Amino acid sequence: MRYRVYHETLFAYSDPVDLGSHMVHLGPRALAHQRVISASITAEPVPSRITVARDYFGNDVRWLFVDHPHDEFSVLLEAEVDVLFPPAPNAWSTPLWEIVAAAARRGDGASSAAAEFAFPSEMAPADPAVGAYAAISFPPGRPILDGLLDLTARINTEFAFRPGVTTIHTPVERVLAQRAGVCQDFTHLMIAGLRALGLPARYVSGYLRTRPPPGKVARRGADQSHAWVGCWLGPEHGWVDLDPTNNLIVSDEHLVLAWGRDYGDISPVRGVILGGGEHTATVSVTLEPMAGTAP
Amino acid sequence: MTQDTARDEMVDGDGGVRAHWRALLGVLTGIGSDGLRIAGRRLERAFEDEGIFSVLPGTTAQDQPWRCDPVPMILPEQEFVALECGLAQRARLLEAVLADLAGPRRLLTEGLLPPALLFANPGFLRLNELPNTGNRLTCYAADLIRGSDGTWRVLADRVSTGGGISFARENRRILARVLPETFRAAPVRELRPFFDRWQDSLRRMAPHGGAVAVLTPGTRDRRWFEHMFLARELGSALVEGGDLTVRDGILFLKSLRGLQRVDVLVRRVDGRLLDPLELENSRRLGVAALLDAVRAGNLRIVNDPAAGVMEAPAFIGFLPTLAPRLLGEALIVPGVPSLWLGDPDALARTREGGENWYFRPAMNPAAAAILPAGMTSAERAELDRRIAEHPGQWVAIAPGAISVVPSLTGTGLEPKPVILRMFLIFDAGRWHAMPGGLARVLDDPARIPGGIPRGGMTKDVWVLSEEGANLVGPSALASAPLRLRRTAGDLPSRVADNLFWLGRHVERAERSARLVRAAVARLARGTTMLPREQMELVVLGHCLADAGVVPDDSITPANLGNLSRLLFAAVRPDGAIGEQFDTISRLTESVRDRLTGDMYATFTQAMRTAQLDIFSVADSLDGLAHAMVGILRFSTAVAGVAAENMVRGGGWIFLDLGRRIERAQAVTSEIGFALEQPAGRIETGLRLILELCDSVITYRNRYMDVLQPAPVLDLVLADPGNPRGLAFQLIAMHGLLDDLSGESGGREMLAGAAAGLLAEAEANVGFVLAAADQATAAGQIPQRLAALSAGLATLSDRITRRYFALLPAAQLVGADAGEPDWRGAA
Repeated sequence: MRYRVYHETLFAYSDPVDLGSHMVHLGPRALAHQRVISASITAEPVPSRITVARDYFGNDVRWLFVDHPHDEFSVLLEAEVDVLFPPAPNAWSTPLWEIVAAAARRGDGASSAAAEFAFPSEMAPADPAVGAYAAISFPPGRPILDGLLDLTARINTEFAFRPGVTTIHTPVERVLAQRAGVCQDFTHLMIAGLRALGLPARYVSGYLRTRPPPGKVARRGADQSHAWVGCWLGPEHGWVDLDPTNNLIVSDEHLVLAWGRDYGDISPVRGVILGGGEHTATVSVTLEPMAGTAP
Repeated sequence: MTQDTARDEMVDGDGGVRAHWRALLGVLTGIGSDGLRIAGRRLERAFEDEGIFSVLPGTTAQDQPWRCDPVPMILPEQEFVALECGLAQRARLLEAVLADLAGPRRLLTEGLLPPALLFANPGFLRLNELPNTGNRLTCYAADLIRGSDGTWRVLADRVSTGGGISFARENRRILARVLPETFRAAPVRELRPFFDRWQDSLRRMAPHGGAVAVLTPGTRDRRWFEHMFLARELGSALVEGGDLTVRDGILFLKSLRGLQRVDVLVRRVDGRLLDPLELENSRRLGVAALLDAVRAGNLRIVNDPAAGVMEAPAFIGFLPTLAPRLLGEALIVPGVPSLWLGDPDALARTREGGENWYFRPAMNPAAAAILPAGMTSAERAELDRRIAEHPGQWVAIAPGAISVVPSLTGTGLEPKPVILRMFLIFDAGRWHAMPGGLARVLDDPARIPGGIPRGGMTKDVWVLSEEGANLVGPSALASAPLRLRRTAGDLPSRVADNLFWLGRHVERAERSARLVRAAVARLARGTTMLPREQMELVVLGHCLADAGVVPDDSITPANLGNLSRLLFAAVRPDGAIGEQFDTISRLTESVRDRLTGDMYATFTQAMRTAQLDIFSVADSLDGLAHAMVGILRFSTAVAGVAAENMVRGGGWIFLDLGRRIERAQAVTSEIGFALEQPAGRIETGLRLILELCDSVITYRNRYMDVLQPAPVLDLVLADPGNPRGLAFQLIAMHGLLDDLSGESGGREMLAGAAAGLLAEAEANVGFVLAAADQATAAGQIPQRLAALSAGLATLSDRITRRYFALLPAAQLVGADAGEPDWRGAA
């Protein structure tokens, strides 16, 4: 499936900003099953300096520096991407979860890259209650993917999707207690739960294809950033992405931007500004399927 | 439990004195135990005078003072050389481990290091690889202890902000001053050449000829003293995050002259806090885009921002395995036996008994190692519970019996266990150790501290030179001839700002003291006060309110009785004058690297005396009068020491400028208050003006006892020779601002503004002189002076904007700022 994506972030300031430095994680990640046809990241005012690199996790990262006074700063991603993730393996053929956890604990050989994602991180910390919630899906001897699908389905049915009840700083234990939140919350909750069992899990940011209500035309800018969980099935099967918000295995309706331990590693736009006074931020996202491009 | 007797560094197993101690012991015996005790007290006093660890009132209070034992720790040359060689190898090993962890991570894939050492390590920075511009480590410190078998073992490796080196230097400097005779006993190697070498090597690192700077968290950090001395030893600027800015991938220091390029940063700030754009939210301590400057190849940070990961105590136990793998060598200086308890076998071993295991947090280099034997059973159970819960967060070490060195105690010399910290730098292809170090006396053998403790007993460390040879420093670095300068345009804007406000606050304190003294003289007359004096008191009340000593509008003719109470309140620690001293303390501390030791000592001693006086006023008018004398002495001491000791460059200019502006504003408003009188009573106001401006005698010499408005106003407003008058301040400001604009290529005509104010002051005198009725004309002066006062405030603002406020404060935007809008809600 081929998509065209627009993702614009606009900051407006009450006072002029003298010097703005921004770090953006906006370039779609090139993967075996995700081909980036084109991607451009532009900013207004035009930065006086741009540094492009791969971050620690291998994501596209750029630093944009504006060194003259400005009242607004916007950054826009425009990209065309082909996506088709392979079907997940048969759940019953995946290794027992305890074997996956043991491989991650050793963290040597082919497991060394995944081991890092079994450790707690700031936004997906070790929390006993969250661990106990996840453990229900992992009785002894259950194949890893079987347990993961169960946990994904449980979060989807037992938690209410309710925007506005959480912020980016709401801790996972509160999300668990109130049984409500949005995609970031469910993603962090599932990651924290898996790590409590010693299973590597990572935070994937990107976009999800949405369909307009029947009879309506898709509105531009009405889509949103999305997040889901990358789960490790052991050195043989590697990673599979699961979306607890929608109870889906990621296939051809998700577009991957970046991954990290949690949101904090890959927030799309983060900046330090000098001056500026009060500021507001506006985000608009459009994800359009491109017709007649089935790969 | 193994039987283990501590080795005595001075006495051998047969009771004989070891050869390298004999000469010193001879001298110490000559001094005698009473003499040593006196020397000990003199040392303590010397450190107090130096203000090692800020001891200024109002700044951080220390539980224990810094102390240096008169008896040093001695290392014979060959032992030092062996340690230098072993620690150099350890530094090479740490470098190799860091390189592997930042790149291929063979140590993980081969299973030589458990993943937790990296991924559960809060010191691990997830940075993409920074360009390789040479060693990640160029300075290194190690804590060592010597066991009963005579082997030195490493207790901790320090590669992040490794402190203590300036304390070592200070211990030596002060010991040599207080007890010079001990140094005649033996050829002690000097420390200075080591710092010269370090300074040269840092200069050579600067890729573009920019400056070398030492980055400190600031005066609130408890190691600020040490950072200041390090900067001084290295001949570098001492800077804070707020002094720096990155533009186009280049780091700059905001100085009076504008932006000055910095090429090398010796960081004394945790690596995690260096860059708020990429790392933790640390906009107060760090500099946004600092790492961009490193990536661009325009900046070296010493040590590498990511080096701190290696300080986790958990690493020590793995180094013996890593050395053969990475260096093909066995460790020369081993670590203390150390087990990482994340390994179930290791945990089981600590439960077998047979060894005195100390427990310490595996990932926190600053936490102490504790022997459970000294704990209560509840504490022991709590420790066991915490270890069982997260065994990977703990390390067990077996330091054994730690060697002892004679140390001065209340009852004479006693052998005490000692931890030795040694310091190395990398230069010209190899590691060099400082021939000396910092030894710490262990007070409680059941608790081995992690970082440098805040207080406690320390020792100078002597390396004896075998042939008295090689006491010469390295040859000086060849550098281009310097352009001669007589100014200090490189002064960081923050320092100039602080000096300016120090000048203002010292003057403000003096003004308060003068006003209080004048009020007390009248209050002391009690019921015998004349009506004229009551009127004067009302004016003084307005002046005191203007100076912030008493609340605004608190004094009216009807409630003069309240004044004593308000004045007593002002000198309490939380009163206006008490708080003024807190501000002065803080500002003095923040500019301390710009003051000589003598100046600093003069400032602080006079300040302490003054503070003692004001806190012991005990609600008596006599006490109040006495305390004001102390404040005036303090102010005079500051003025004198600044006039006689400070070069008339940037620093002095701002101190003096602050003082002149403050005094000009005070004189202007006080004259205004005094003249707000009915024309018939103008004489009272004139008399008070002369008193407040300390000009009574001068006036009498010129005009005898005839009081008239124009001559009085001439003396206090327009006479350029009266140091308490307005004209004097404005002329001084004109000169200072003129010097400054020459230094910094001033675009604004600030000096011209001062000249304009002077003309205005002269015009006021002319106005009264020309008037038919001087008394009536004088009545209009307060209104005219209000305009002058506003002009002074504007000038002060312009100075602030021009020289200090180069950049507004930083703030974060995006996720960390907590934007609900940022949540994709899919």
